[in-house]
Amino acid sequence: MHDPPATSSHPGSRTSMYNVQRQHSGLGGVSSATQAAKTSPSHAPGHLKSKIPSNRRMRRIISEDAEWTLAIVPLLTELCIQHIVKNFQNNPILKQLLPQHQQKVLSHLPPDLPLTVTANLIDDENYWHRCCIKRWPVCHVAKHGGSWKRMFFERHLENLLKLFIPGTTDPNVILDLLPLCRNYVRRIQVDQFLPPVRLPTPPQGDEQSDSGSDGEGNEPEKDHYQLEALVAGLKHLEELDLVYGVKDCGMNFEWNLFLFTFRDCHSLAATIKACHTLKIFRLTRSKVDDDKARILIRSLLDHPALEELDLSHNLIGDRGARAAAKLLSHSRLRVLNLANNQLRAPGAQSLAHALAHNTNLVSLNLRLNCIEDEGGQAIAHALETNKCLTTLHLGGNELSEPTATVLSQVLPINTILTSLNLSCNHIGVDGGKQLLEGMSENKTILEFDLRLSDVSQESEYLIGQALHANREAARQRALNPGHFMTPITNNGPENSVA
Amino acid sequence: MNLLANLGFFDQNDEEHLAATIHGPSVYSDNPQERIQARRLRIAARQEARRREALGEYLDGKKESEEEQSKSYKQKEESRLKLTKLLLCGTELVTNIQVATDIREIHRRVEEEEVKRQRLEKLENEVKTSQDKFDEITAKWEEGRQKRIPQELWEMLNTQQLHCAGLIEDKNKLISELQQELKIKDDQFVKDLKKQSDDISLLLERMEEQVKSVMKNFRQELMQIEKAFESERQELLSNNMKKWERALQGHNAKELEYLINRMKKVEDYEKQLNKQRVWDCEEYNTIKIKLERDIQILEQQLQQMKATYQLNQEKLEYNFQVLKKRDEESTVIKSQQKRKLNRLHDILNNLRTKYAKQIKQFQEENQTLTSDFKRLVGQFKELQKAMRHFAIIDAEKFREIWLMNEEEAKVLVQRAFDVDKVISSQHLGLPWKMPDFWFLKNVGPISMQQQKSATQILEELLLQTEEDETEETSEDESYMDLPKQVSAKTTKKILMLLCDESGFLIESKLLSLLLPLEKNECYLLRLDAIFSALGIESEDDLYKLVNFFLRYRSHRLSSIQYSTSTQTERTSLISTMERMSLLSQTDRKSLVSKSEVDSMVLPEDLPEDDNESLVSKELREESLASPKLIHPNDVLKILEAFVMGLKKPKDTRPVLRVKRDTRDNSKDTEYWTSLALVIPLAKQNLWDALYKALEKYYLVLTQRAKLLMENDSLEEQNAEMQSLLQQYLQAKVNSELQIPPTQSFRMPTK
Repeated sequence: MHDPPATSSHPGSRTSMYNVQRQHSGLGGVSSATQAAKTSPSHAPGHLKSKIPSNRRMRRIISEDAEWTLAIVPLLTELCIQHIVKNFQNNPILKQLLPQHQQKVLSHLPPDLPLTVTANLIDDENYWHRCCIKRWPVCHVAKHGGSWKRMFFERHLENLLKLFIPGTTDPNVILDLLPLCRNYVRRIQVDQFLPPVRLPTPPQGDEQSDSGSDGEGNEPEKDHYQLEALVAGLKHLEELDLVYGVKDCGMNFEWNLFLFTFRDCHSLAATIKACHTLKIFRLTRSKVDDDKARILIRSLLDHPALEELDLSHNLIGDRGARAAAKLLSHSRLRVLNLANNQLRAPGAQSLAHALAHNTNLVSLNLRLNCIEDEGGQAIAHALETNKCLTTLHLGGNELSEPTATVLSQVLPINTILTSLNLSCNHIGVDGGKQLLEGMSENKTILEFDLRLSDVSQESEYLIGQALHANREAARQRALNPGHFMTPITNNGPENSVA
Repeated sequence: MNLLANLGFFDQNDEEHLAATIHGPSVYSDNPQERIQARRLRIAARQEARRREALGEYLDGKKESEEEQSKSYKQKEESRLKLTKLLLCGTELVTNIQVATDIREIHRRVEEEEVKRQRLEKLENEVKTSQDKFDEITAKWEEGRQKRIPQELWEMLNTQQLHCAGLIEDKNKLISELQQELKIKDDQFVKDLKKQSDDISLLLERMEEQVKSVMKNFRQELMQIEKAFESERQELLSNNMKKWERALQGHNAKELEYLINRMKKVEDYEKQLNKQRVWDCEEYNTIKIKLERDIQILEQQLQQMKATYQLNQEKLEYNFQVLKKRDEESTVIKSQQKRKLNRLHDILNNLRTKYAKQIKQFQEENQTLTSDFKRLVGQFKELQKAMRHFAIIDAEKFREIWLMNEEEAKVLVQRAFDVDKVISSQHLGLPWKMPDFWFLKNVGPISMQQQKSATQILEELLLQTEEDETEETSEDESYMDLPKQVSAKTTKKILMLLCDESGFLIESKLLSLLLPLEKNECYLLRLDAIFSALGIESEDDLYKLVNFFLRYRSHRLSSIQYSTSTQTERTSLISTMERMSLLSQTDRKSLVSKSEVDSMVLPEDLPEDDNESLVSKELREESLASPKLIHPNDVLKILEAFVMGLKKPKDTRPVLRVKRDTRDNSKDTEYWTSLALVIPLAKQNLWDALYKALEKYYLVLTQRAKLLMENDSLEEQNAEMQSLLQQYLQAKVNSELQIPPTQSFRMPTK
C-alpha cells in the first residue's frame, strides 16, 4: 500500500513549497510571495524535488513559518483518484485517465471487486497479482504462462468446476463467468468432479469396497458436469486436464464417487472434438476402460491441434492401445502417455507398428503396463525405422533379456532417442551386458534408467560412463553448434570453453 | 520397507561403487562432504588426464598454457561437473522412491494375480465339491420320498440335515476364509497406505534434503568459484604489486645511481672549469702582451703607410688632372660619333623603306606576269583545242571533199569507160576489157598503212599457226611483212619459249585468272603481259625481238663452231644490238625501207652461214626449223640484252609520233592525175578519128533523110489527087451523064 507514504509526503511538500516561497520573497520581493502562495498546488511536486536537498535552509525557514498546520487539504488529483477508487464498482473510470493516474488507481483498487467490473477492464498484472495472493496462499504463476490475470481466471474457473454439483448448483454460475474469462483462460485443470447428490446418502465405510464391481456404469443419473457449453465458449483453450473423481472423500468413500459414465464419456468426446484449439488433453485416474478410450480417441482422430494425450492411470487394455496406435497415424500427436494401464503384448505391438512409420511422436510413456518381451521387442524393432521419438519409458513392463538383445541391436542404429527408461524390469545380468554393448556404440542417448532391473553393477556403471560421455558431447554440440569435431572418447568439457 | 532398505543399500552401494572407482586415501575422511569433494576433485583430475592423453602430445604447449590459463576456469569446470553429478544423484535418489513403488506395485500385481488365481481355483473346487454334495443331497430327497417308514425317513432326514449342515459349514468356512483374507487385505491396504504416506513423507524429506543439499552445494560451489576468482585476483594483484614494487625499487635505485653520477659529474665539471679558467687567464695575458707588441709594430707600419699614401696622393692627383682632360676630349669625340651614328641610322631606314617598296613592286609585277602567263597558257590551250578541233574538222572536210570529188571522178571515169565500151563494142566492133587500175579501188584519202600492235600480230600469228597445223600449204608464204627467213612457226615457237621462260614478268593475279582459259588465249594474254613488261608495243619491236633471238642463236652456233670465247660472243651480241637499234631508228622512217633493210641485214648473216660447212648448214636449217636449240637458260640473257638495246629507241619515240600526225600529200597529185588519165592518149586519138568519120556519116544520113521527106510529100499529093478524082467520079453529075467517065477508065485499084 502506498497510502501512508503519500499522506506523509504532503506536509513535506507544503513545507518545501513555503520554503521556496520564502526564498523567492527574499530575492524578488514580498508581493511575489503572496502570488506564489495562490499558485496551484500541482506545481509543488516539481519544486519539491528540486529543493529538497537544501536541508539546512528548510530547517531555518520552518522555524520562521507561523502559519504551518497539519490540516492541509490534499491535492485535487489525489482526491479524485480516491473517489474513483471508492466508486470503482459503480462507476469504473480507468481508460480515460492519464497513465500515471491509471497506475495510481490500479494500485489502490481493492482486490475483491466483482469480476463483472474488472474482468475485461483491467489488464494490469499487479492488480491481478494482488487478487491471486489474496485468494490463494500459494501461487505458481509460471504454471499459467507468467500471467497473473490468466492464473486468476483459470483457478477461479477451476474452483467453480470443482465444487459444481450437478442438479443442485445453478449451471449459470459457470456460464455467467464465460464472457468474462473467455479471453484469458487457456487451460482447465480439474482434479475432481462431484457427482449429483443422492438424497439418502448412505454412510458407507471402507468395508463397502466390494460394491465397486457392481456399482459401475449402471446409474445414468451419476453423470458429472458437462463441459461442452463451457469449452465451446473458451476460444483460447489449449489444455484440458481432467480427473473424474472425488478428493478428500475420507470415510464417505464409495465406488460410485469415482465413476466416469458413458454419457460423460460421450459428452467429453464431443467437447474435445469441437475444441479446435486444444493442444493438450489429459484424462487421468478416471477408470477409462477400452470402450471409453475408443470413444474418446475416435473423437480425436484428425484433430487439427492436439499435441499431447495423457491417459495414464486408467484401465485401458489392448483394444484401447490399438485405437491409440490408429490415432498416432491420424494426428500430429507429439506426446502420448499411457502409463499405468493394462496394456499387454498385442497392444504394444500395434503401438510399435504405428510407431515404426510415425514422424510426429516425440515421447511415449508405457510405464507400469505389462507388455512383456513380445511387446518390448516389437517396440525396439520399431525404433529401427522411427526418426523422431526421443523419449521412451518402458519401466515396469516385465521385460527381460530378449528385449535387451533387440534393443542392443537397435541402439547403435538409432540416432534420435535421447532418453530411455527400462527400470523395474527383469533385464538380468546378460541383458545388461548386451545393453552395454549397444550403448557403447550409441552417441545420442543422454538418459538411460536401469534401476532395479537386475543388471550387474559393473555394466550399469559403464553405461553410466557412456551416458556421461554422451551428455558432455551433447553439451558441446549445444555450445558450439555445427562443430562436431570432439571425439566422444575424450570427454573433456574444457575444450568447449577454451 | 525391505525394498526401501534395499534401495538405500543400492544408493549406498552406488556411492561406494563410485568411490571404489576412485582409489584414493581421502575417502576415509570423517566428513562426508569433504569425502565427496575429494572424490570429485579426483574425478576431474582423472578426466583431465584422460583428455590430455586423448589430445596427444602435439598439443603440449597449448595444454600447458591452458593449465596456466586460470584456476578459476578449472574451478568452474570442476564445480560444473560436481553439480551435474549432484543433480543427477539427487534426482536419482528422489526418483528411486518412485521406482521402488513401481516395482512394489509390480510385485504386488504379480502376487495378486497369483493369489487371485489360487482363490479362483479354490472357489471352483469348492463349487464343484459343494455341487457334488448338493447333488447327493438332492438325490437323497428322491430317495426319501420313496421311503414309507417314518423312522427311516427321520433317519434319512437327520442325515440330510447333517449333510446340509456340513455343506453350509463348508460354505461358511469359505466365507470366513475369504473374510479373513479380506481382513488381511484391509490390513495390508492400511499398511500400504501407511507405507505410501511414509513414502511420500520420505519423498518430501528427500526432496527437501535434495533442495537443501543442492542449494548448499550450489552455494558452496559458488563460494568456491568466487574464492577461486578471488584468490586468482589476489594472486594477480599480489603479482602485479610485486612487479610494481620491484619495478619501483629498480626505478629508485636507478634514480639514486643517476643522482650520484650527476653529483660526480658536477664536481668533475667544476674542477675542469677552474682549471680551464686558470689556463685561460694565463693564455689571455700572453696573448695580450703579444697583441700589444703587434699594435706597436702596426703603428709604425701605419706611419710608413701614411707617408707613402701622401706621396701616392700627389701622384694620383696629377694623374687625375691628366685623365680629366682626356675625358673631355673623349666626350667631344663621342658626341661626334653619336651624330654620325644617327645620320647613318637615318640612311639605313630610308634604304629599308626603299627596299620594302621595291619588293612590293616586284611582287605585284610578278603577280601580274604570272596571271598573264596563266591567261596565255589558257589561251594557248584553247587555241590548241581549237586547232585540234579544226584539224579534225579539216580532215573531215578534206575527206568529205575528197570523197565527193573522188565520187564525181569515178562517175566520170565510169562514164568514160561506158563510152569507151560502147565505142569499142558497137562502133569499132572490138572486144572491150575493163582496165584495171589500183586507184580505182581506192576510196578516201590516201594514207599511211597503220602499224599493227604487237598483240594483234600475235593474235594473227597464233591463229595462223593454228591454221598451219591443219593445212601446211601456206607455210612457205611469209606472213605479212615478216622477214622471209622467219617463218610463222618459228616465231610462234620462239614466242612460246619466251612465254614459258619469262613467267616472272606476269603478275600472279593474272596467272590465276588465266588458268581456266584455253591454251591459245592463255598464251596470248601471257605474251601480252610479257610484252607490256618488256616495253614491246609495235609490230616492229616484235619482229626485232624475233630476229634478235634468231641472230643470237646463229651467233652462238657460229661461236660454238669457231670455239670462240663467250666474251666475244657477248660483245658481238651487243654490237648486233647496237646495229639493231640503229636499224630500228631507220625503220621508223619508212616501213617499206625496213623490210629492205632487214633483208639486207639478214643476207649479211647468210654469207657467213654459207661459209660454214654443210653440217653446220644442216644444223642451222634444223635450228631454223625448230628453235629449240635456243637453250631455255639463255632466254633470259637474250631478253636482258634486248631490253638494254631497246632502251635507246624508246627515247626518240614521242617526236616521231608528232610527225606521224601530219599527213603526206605526195601521192595525191599522182592519184588525181592518174584518175584524170584513165583513158590513155592513144584511145583519145582513136576517138578523134572516129568522131570525124562519124560526122561525115552523119552528113550523108541527113541528106538521105531530106530525100525521104520529099518522097513522102509527093506520095501525099498523089493520094490527095486520087481522092479528088474519086470524088468527082462519084458525083451525080456523072450518073446523069451518058457515059460516065468511070467507064472510060478503069479505076485504079489500089
